[in-house]
Amino acid sequence: MLTVKENLKEVMTGGNPDRFVKQYEFLQMIMSVPSGRIKPQIGEEVINEWGITIRWPEGQLASFPVHDEQHVVLKDVTEWKKYVKAPSMERPEGAWDQAIADANAVDRNNKYVAAFIAPGLFEMTHYLMGMENALMSFYEEPEAMHELIEYLTEYELDYAKALVENLHPDAILHHDDWGSQISTFLSPAMFEEFFLESYKKIYGFYKANGVELIVHHSDSYAATLVPYMIEMGIDIWQGVMTTNDIPKMIKEYGGQITFMGGVHSGVIDHPEWTKEQIEAEFARACRESGKLYFIPGACQGLPVSSFPGVYEACDEAIEKMTKELF
Amino acid sequence: MSKIQEVKEKVEIGKTKLVPGLVQEALDEGSSAADILQAMVDSMGIVGEKFSSGEIFVPEMLIAAKAMAKGVDVLRPLLAGDTTNSLGTCIIGTVAGDLHDIGKNLVSMMIESAGFTMVDLGVDVPAERFVEAIKENENVTLVACSGLLTTTMPALKEAVETIKASGLDVKVIVGGAPVTPEYAAEIGADGFAPDAGSAAVKAKEMVA
Repeated sequence: MLTVKENLKEVMTGGNPDRFVKQYEFLQMIMSVPSGRIKPQIGEEVINEWGITIRWPEGQLASFPVHDEQHVVLKDVTEWKKYVKAPSMERPEGAWDQAIADANAVDRNNKYVAAFIAPGLFEMTHYLMGMENALMSFYEEPEAMHELIEYLTEYELDYAKALVENLHPDAILHHDDWGSQISTFLSPAMFEEFFLESYKKIYGFYKANGVELIVHHSDSYAATLVPYMIEMGIDIWQGVMTTNDIPKMIKEYGGQITFMGGVHSGVIDHPEWTKEQIEAEFARACRESGKLYFIPGACQGLPVSSFPGVYEACDEAIEKMTKELF
Repeated sequence: MSKIQEVKEKVEIGKTKLVPGLVQEALDEGSSAADILQAMVDSMGIVGEKFSSGEIFVPEMLIAAKAMAKGVDVLRPLLAGDTTNSLGTCIIGTVAGDLHDIGKNLVSMMIESAGFTMVDLGVDVPAERFVEAIKENENVTLVACSGLLTTTMPALKEAVETIKASGLDVKVIVGGAPVTPEYAAEIGADGFAPDAGSAAVKAKEMVA
């Protein structure tokens, strides 16, 4: 039996895996990293490290940035230098100790020590000024948007430097949602113009500093962006929704990138979830997409589920498909 | 090319700075405010179609709507009291328990561009609030309810049922990522649209 890591490599290289990869099993997320992120708990509202108000109302599955007139950080992108101040990278003595200890406890022969990075560059633009303003600014103030994205990229590179120096991760799980369920937010040409070079710099830096695996989360449609994903160095696109035609993408790009997802969290991860529904969804996903260049999983951006038991039931459903198809 | 034709073209490609001046020039040429408005509505219809077909994306739709809004600002003093282009009032909101507003805002913008007067109730709107808003506003012909989460689908159902149970004479359109035409029919909605461009087309059909 192959190790978790060996099996993943077989999947990614078109070799001979002996089972389906079970969702995030190959990543050991080190969540004790002193990221500096300020996040609300359920029912809380916080002002985060960028000055963005983030609210997590009771009963919601996630937190939201608040963009009304009173709370929005950046009203006019041409004035970004006045309002956008990157958080300090300084950390108190010993701040990395826990994360380093957690990383040292991982059997790196079996799993990848992984750091989590969110929000990404595109998400930061709309966290700072609201989605509509951000999207219109790509047209109306392209120069200012380029400058802002360059500034955000420099911050990400500083953070990357701190991560590789202290944690030496083997992998990163980097979030940046680039689309809705049915479309990308930006046209491919606009995405290329504003984000390709920045991500080449960021992911290139990680690759040049010992990170073997770049996992990028975008639980959306983004099939038209796959060539850019490959160019910027993404190894695994996680969160791939079925609106993307995964089998077609595997045929076209398999060997250059691996697709992780195929099951919508919204469909299976709800208060009335059932084992039967989860098994049916994973049976469909595994049969449709096959054994190579594909990792079955829910589209959730971390190895968790919104409702207790769902993540584990997904793993069991994948095991069942391994027994059937391998 | 006539100025009115130029207005139409510039709205379609979102020339927000040029449109107000062109609208004024079209007026100076003798075009009526109503005709210019109709040209811009037609333009947004094309924008909606292109969005639905994947030819253009959200930013292009947003700037086109912004360009139209700036053109309408020029026409507004001339259109006051003229309801010939109005399809009535549309109440819009994201249902209770759901805080997603981007999709709802896009739909609102496109339905407004089609000729409705919009009343936006925002997000997390209880079912009864839709009914109150119908009663509070004049000439409400349409209610648009948005739900983005699987977990808020029951709230969407409740909203539609509450509006229908009120006996008020309005049509209800629903949409959002998890909503299907079958689900829309099952909960008693009069219409469904999969995206903002189609929503505007459907909205017009529903009140015609």
